[in-house]
Amino acid sequence: MLRLDGVRLVHNPGTPTEVVALDHVDLEIPAGQFVTVVGSNGAGKSSLVGVVAGAHRPSRGRVLLDGRDVTRLPDHARAAAVARVFDDPLAGTAPELSLADNLALAGARGRRRRLLPAITRGRRAAMRDDLAMLGLGLERRLADPVALLSAGQRQSVTMLMAGLRQPRLLLLDEHLAALDPRTRDRVLDLTVRTHQRLGCASLMITHSMRHAIEVGDRLLVMARGGVVYDVAGQRKAALTPAGLVDIISGLGDAPSDRQLLAG
Amino acid sequence: MRYLLTDTLIAGLPLLPVVMGIYLVVRIRQDFDLTVDGSFTLGGALTALLLGHGVGVPLAMLAAVAGAAVAGLVTTGLHLALRIPVILAGLVMSIGMTTLNLRVLGRPSISLGDGGTLFSGLAGLAPGVRDWLTIAILAAFASVFLAAVGYLLLTEIGLALRATGVNARMARAQGVDDRRSLALCLALANASAGLSGALTVQSQGFADSATGTGTLLAGVGAVMLGELIARPGGASRVGRVLVAVAVGTLLYRLVLVGALRAGLQATDLAGITALTLVAAVALNRYLPELGRSLGRVGTAARHPRGALEASATAKEAG
Repeated sequence: MLRLDGVRLVHNPGTPTEVVALDHVDLEIPAGQFVTVVGSNGAGKSSLVGVVAGAHRPSRGRVLLDGRDVTRLPDHARAAAVARVFDDPLAGTAPELSLADNLALAGARGRRRRLLPAITRGRRAAMRDDLAMLGLGLERRLADPVALLSAGQRQSVTMLMAGLRQPRLLLLDEHLAALDPRTRDRVLDLTVRTHQRLGCASLMITHSMRHAIEVGDRLLVMARGGVVYDVAGQRKAALTPAGLVDIISGLGDAPSDRQLLAG
Repeated sequence: MRYLLTDTLIAGLPLLPVVMGIYLVVRIRQDFDLTVDGSFTLGGALTALLLGHGVGVPLAMLAAVAGAAVAGLVTTGLHLALRIPVILAGLVMSIGMTTLNLRVLGRPSISLGDGGTLFSGLAGLAPGVRDWLTIAILAAFASVFLAAVGYLLLTEIGLALRATGVNARMARAQGVDDRRSLALCLALANASAGLSGALTVQSQGFADSATGTGTLLAGVGAVMLGELIARPGGASRVGRVLVAVAVGTLLYRLVLVGALRAGLQATDLAGITALTLVAAVALNRYLPELGRSLGRVGTAARHPRGALEASATAKEAG
C-alpha cells in the first residue's frame, strides 16, 4: 500500500542549520496493517509523517501509494488516499466553522468540490448518525462552532473526519499526546475501531511504549533518521515497555522523560 | 433630512459588491488586498470607455467585472510566483493600476453624458421619482450579487474557501488546494470591486481616475461597522455575513453623507473615514467587554476578538 524507496530528507539544505531528518528509509506497509512508530525526539518520526503526507518533499528517493509514485504530489493532492490526525488536537478542525461545516469539508475530501450546497438535509442526518457513534452528545451540536468543543471532543471529531471517504492510509502523528489519560484511552479506542472499520493501513506515531506494544500489528523504532528496529506478531507482543526503552536507548539516543514516564 | 436617506442609498448601494468582496478577503481569508482600490477604478474606467464607444451596458459592465477579476488573478500570481505577501502584491498592483487606469480613461476624468448608461431611461422623470428608481435598480443589482455570493459560500467550493482562511493546514489535509482558493477569493473580490466601480460611475455620471483610492480602507470600516450590528461571529453564518455587509456599507455611507449634510467639506471626508474606522475598531474591541460587564455574557463569549486583531493573530499562528 505504502512504500518508501531510499527516502532522504534534508531540512534547511545548504545553511548552517542543515539537518538530515531522514536517510535511506526503505519501508513497505501492506494494506490493512496497523503500524506503530516510536523513537526519541529528533529520530525522524515527524519527518516520516511529513514525507508520507506530502508536507515535505524528499530530497532523494520515492514515495509510492498503491504502486503510484506520489513523491512530487503536494499534501492536498494526496488527501484522497491519506487521512491525517495531527498531534495538536485543535489543528484538525476549523474552529470558527460549525461542526456541520467541518464534517462537510471532510466529506468531500479527495473528490472534486462542486458548486452545490455543501450541507444538505440528507448529509446532516448522516452527520448526526456518525457523531452519535462517538457517544459524546455532539449529534445535538451540529450548528455550534467547533471552537466551543473541548480538545478531546475536537480530536474525536478529527478522527471521525479522517474516517470519512474511505482513506487508504490513516496517518496519526502523536495524536494522543496532548490528551488527558481518560480521553486518550477513548480516542485510542476510536482509532482502533476506525482502522478496523476502514480496513486501511495505519501509521501511528506515539510516545507511549504501552500503546506502541499493545496496539497494532507491527512496531518500528526510529533513530537518527532511519528505521532501526522492525518487529511484528509474536515478537512484538512479547516486548515490554522497559525492554522497548532499552532498545531505544541502546541505540544511542536517550529516551525522553515522557517515554520513561509513559512506560 | 429628506435627502439623507436617498443620498445614502444612491451612494451606498453601488458599494455593496466591493464591501462583500473585501469581507471575503479580510474576514474569510484573513488577508488584505489593496488591488481592490485599482480594480474599483478600472471597473469604472472600462465602463466609461466602452459606453463612450457605444458598447451596450451589459457588455460594458461584463468587461469591467472581467478586467477587475484579471487584476485579482495577477495579484495572486505575484504572491504565488514571487512569494511576496498578498498585501505587498496588492500595493504594487494598486500603484501600477493608477497608470493603467489613466491610460484607459485617456484623461483624469470623463463625463458619461446623458446617453447609454444603466440609468439613461430615467432622464426625463421628476427628480424624486428618478432617485427612487435609481435606488431600485441599484438595489436589484446589489441583492442579486449578495445572494449569489451567499450561495457560493454555502457550496462545497465556498466551504473550502472559508476553511482555508481559518485553518489552512487542516484544509490542505482535507484535500483543499489553498492556492486555488486564494485565486478564487482575490478574483472574486476584485470582480466585486469592478462591478461596484461600474455601478458608481453610471450612477454619478462620470468616471474619475481617483475614485477607487481608499476603497479597501473604507470597505474594512464598513465591514467592522456591520459586524458591530449583525455580529456574524464566524463564517458559518452566511446569512448574517450578508446582513453585516449590507448594514455596514449603508451605515458607513450614512456617516459620510451625514457629515456633508452637517456642513463639512468633501475634503474632510478622508478624515471622517479614518475616524469612523478607529471608532469601529474601538467599539469592536471594547463593546463585548462592556456587554460582559453588563451581564450579556453570551454575546461577549462568542465574539472575544476585534476584527483586525483576529486577523493579526491568525497571521502569527499561520
